[in-house]
Amino acid sequence: MNITRRGLAGLALTPLAAGAQTATPRRGGTIIVAQCSANRFVASAQTARHPYFTVDLTTRIPYNALVWVDREMRLQPELATSWAPASADQSVWDITLRPGVRFHDGTPLRAEDVVASYELHRQRNFASGQIQKIEAMADGRVRFTLDAGNSEFPYVLAEYQNMIMPAAPVETIGNTGIGTGPFRFASTDPNRIAVYERNPAYWREGFPYLDRIELHNREGQQETALAGLRSGQFDVVMTIDPRSVRGLQRDADLVVDNGGGGHHYVIQLPKHPGSPFEDKRVRQALALGVDREAIVRLVYGEGNGWVGNDSHLVAADLNFLALPRIPRAEAVARARALLAAAGHPNGINLGTLYWSPQSPEVGRYFQVLQETAREAGLTMALEQRPADGYVQFRTGDNDFSKGSFHRFAMTAVGPRNPGISLFRMRGAFVESGHWRGPEHDAYMALYAQAMREGDAAARRDMFHRMQRILHEEVPALLPAGTMTFSVRRRHVQGFEFHPQIWSVRFDEVWRS
Amino acid sequence: MISLILRRGALSLATLFLLASFIFFATEVLPGDALDVSLSADEVAMMPPEVLARRKAELGLDRPILERYLGFLGGLLKFDLGRTIITRAPVADIVAMPLRNSMALAAVTLLLALPVALGIAMAAAQAKGRGLDNAVSGAAIIGYSIPEFVTGLLLIAVFAVWWPIFPATITASTDDPLSVLLAAAPLAVITTIIGSIAYLGRILRVGMIEVMASDFVERLHLSGIPRWRILLVHALPAAVIPGLSAAALYAASLVSGIVVVEMVFAYPGIGAELVRAVTRREVHVVQAIALAAAICVVSFNLLADLGISALDPRTRNA
Repeated sequence: MNITRRGLAGLALTPLAAGAQTATPRRGGTIIVAQCSANRFVASAQTARHPYFTVDLTTRIPYNALVWVDREMRLQPELATSWAPASADQSVWDITLRPGVRFHDGTPLRAEDVVASYELHRQRNFASGQIQKIEAMADGRVRFTLDAGNSEFPYVLAEYQNMIMPAAPVETIGNTGIGTGPFRFASTDPNRIAVYERNPAYWREGFPYLDRIELHNREGQQETALAGLRSGQFDVVMTIDPRSVRGLQRDADLVVDNGGGGHHYVIQLPKHPGSPFEDKRVRQALALGVDREAIVRLVYGEGNGWVGNDSHLVAADLNFLALPRIPRAEAVARARALLAAAGHPNGINLGTLYWSPQSPEVGRYFQVLQETAREAGLTMALEQRPADGYVQFRTGDNDFSKGSFHRFAMTAVGPRNPGISLFRMRGAFVESGHWRGPEHDAYMALYAQAMREGDAAARRDMFHRMQRILHEEVPALLPAGTMTFSVRRRHVQGFEFHPQIWSVRFDEVWRS
Repeated sequence: MISLILRRGALSLATLFLLASFIFFATEVLPGDALDVSLSADEVAMMPPEVLARRKAELGLDRPILERYLGFLGGLLKFDLGRTIITRAPVADIVAMPLRNSMALAAVTLLLALPVALGIAMAAAQAKGRGLDNAVSGAAIIGYSIPEFVTGLLLIAVFAVWWPIFPATITASTDDPLSVLLAAAPLAVITTIIGSIAYLGRILRVGMIEVMASDFVERLHLSGIPRWRILLVHALPAAVIPGLSAAALYAASLVSGIVVVEMVFAYPGIGAELVRAVTRREVHVVQAIALAAAICVVSFNLLADLGISALDPRTRNA
C-alpha cells in the first residue's frame, strides 16, 4: 500500500500533515544541513553507514524503523502498518509489515529482514533487551516475545537505533548502509559528512522532494555552523543552543523552528542515612523553593523552555501532568514552613550539588536553581565535575550498608515515552535517590499495571496517578527543560523539528 | 657526523619509549571509559548492571592495566596502534588521513610564513630601534597575542559573512585530495599564518640583530662586501641557528594539531580528531595521536640538532 501525506499517520493527523505548506512543493535540488548534537561513537570507514554510527541522530534519512513517534509523542506507522498485542499480558506483539516496500538495492522488505535487524538490536540497543524472541510468521507478520508485559512496546520499535536493514549476520548487518528510507547513501566521511541522494523507489509515493542532502557534523562547533548558515554554505543547522534563538530570530533571512519539548535534568536527592533528603518535608521544600519559571525565563528565554513536574516526562508528552502553578511568594512561604516543621526554622544547608557540562546551558541552569532555592532558605554549593567518570561519581551502591553513597547530583533526561521515562524513578535506580517506602511501592505497582494495560486512556490515568505520587513525594527534582531548536534559511520548506531530534524527517522538505 | 646521528637517534628512541609509557598511563588511569560515554543517561537508566558489566567485559575494559600496557607496547613493536574500543576499527585508519591533513596545513603554513617572517626579521633588524622595527615588533606582539579562535572568527565575520569571498567553514571531506582540501581552507591557512609569522618573525629578528652586531659582520663590512651579500649569504645562516630549535618545535606543534583552528573552521585534521577521541574516551585513538605528536616533536628536534650541527661545526662534539 502506498500511503499519502495524510495516510502516513494512520491513527491521527500527523505533524507532517499539520505542517503542510500552502505553496506547491517543488521537486529537485540539494539542501546542506549541519548537525550540532554530539556524535556518540567514533565511526570508521567500515561502520560509517551503519545506523548506530552514522552522523548522529539522522538515521531516518537513509533508514526507516517499524514505528515513528510524532511531535506529540504519539505512535505512527512507518514500516509497520499495524501492531497489536497477541497476549493479554502485553508480552507478545504481532507486527504487520507495510507491503510493497523495497530496500535501496531493490530487494523487497521481508519479515526475515526485521528478524535479523532485531537480532542486533536486542543485543545492542538499550531499550530492546527485553525482547526474548523474534519470529517471522507464515503470513508475513513478525512476532516479538518479551520477557514481561509492556503495553508501550511499540515505542521501542521507534527508537533511534532500531532501524530495519537487509538480513545479514549480526557482525556485519547494517554496514552497507542499505535501508528503505527516502534517501540512500551517496558517500560518507566517517564522523564528518554523509551525502544522500533521492531514493526513487521510496515507499511513500511522490516523496521525497529533494534530490540530495548533504549532512555535516558540527558537534561542538555551533558558531562555525551558524557562520556557514549566514554565509550561505548551509541551509539548515539542527540542534542549536536555546540561548542563540533570540539573536537568530532577528535575522530576516532565517527561520527558527521550535521542535517542542526537549531534554531536561534530573537532580537525584540521596536518601541514605544522614542525608537531609531522607525527610520528605525537605524534598518538598526544595520542590517549592526552586523557581521553575525563573529557570525557564533566565536560562532558556520565555517560550523556549517548559516547567517540569518532577517526573522524567517532558511537557510535550500527552501523558504529562502539569503541576498547579503556585504564586512565588506563597511557594517560598510554604517551603519555609515545611523546613520549620522539619526542624530547620533558619533554613538548611543541603551540601554540594554536583553537575557535569552535559549541555551548554547547564552552568547557568544550576546557578539560577541555587539562587532561587536560597530565597526559600535552602542553601547549597555547586561543583562542576568532569564528564570522565561522572556516571560512577554520582552513582553509589543500592546497598546502603556498603557506605558507597550516591550523590546530590544531576544528569540529563531525554524526551521519551512514559514506559521508559517513568521507569527511571524506580527505587532500584540511582536517579530516584533509591526511593523506598509504601509510596514507592504504590508507584511501581501502578507502573506494572500500566505496562499490562492495553487501553491507552486507562494507561494515561495510571500515568497521571504516578505523577501525582511523584509530586507529593519528590523522590527527585526535575524542575524545567528546554525546547529543541533548529534554524534554516527561508528557502527551505516543509522542514519541522521534533522534541526527539532523532525523529526528524526529511521526506517532505523542499527548496522554494 | 654519523656517530652524532646514531647517538641522537638512540636518545630519541629512548625518549619516545618513555613518552609512550607516560601517554599510556596518563590516558588509562582516568576514571570512566568509552562505554560509559557512549551511553546516554537514558540508556544507562534502562540497562541492568549485569548487562553493563557484560558489555565492558566484551570490549576488554575490565582487563588489568598491566595486561593492557604490555599489549600496548607489543602492538607498538609491531607498528599496530590497536583498534577503537566500540567499533573495533583499526586506529591507523582513523588517524592516517587527519594526520596527513594536519601535516599539509603545517607545511603550507611554514612554506608561506617562513619567507615572510625572514623578510620581516631582516627588515626589522636593519631598522633596529627605528619606526619600521617598532611597527614590526608591535605587530608581531599583537599577532602572537591574539588567540587563534579570535583571529579565525574575525576572519569569518569579515571574509565569509560581511564580504563573502571565502567559505566560512570547510565542507570538504577528510580524504579529499590535498589541493581540494586546502583550496577550501583559505581562512584556516591565513589564521595559522598570521600567528606563525608573528612568532617566527620575533625569533628570527632577535637572531638577526645579534648577528648583525657581531664582529664578523663588522669585518665583512670593512672588507667592502656589499650589504645585501652580507645579509643574505653570511648573516642569514648564522642568524637562523639560534632560532632553529624553537622553529622546529613550533613546526612540530603545527603538525601535531592546531586544535583551535581545526575546530573553528572544521578542518579535518588530527587536532579535531583528538578532541573527538578524548570526548568519546577512545583511548587507543588518543594514545596514537599523542604518540604521533611526540614523534613529531622528537623528530623535528632531532632534525634541528642535526641542522645546527651541519651549519655550526663547533656544536658537533657538544
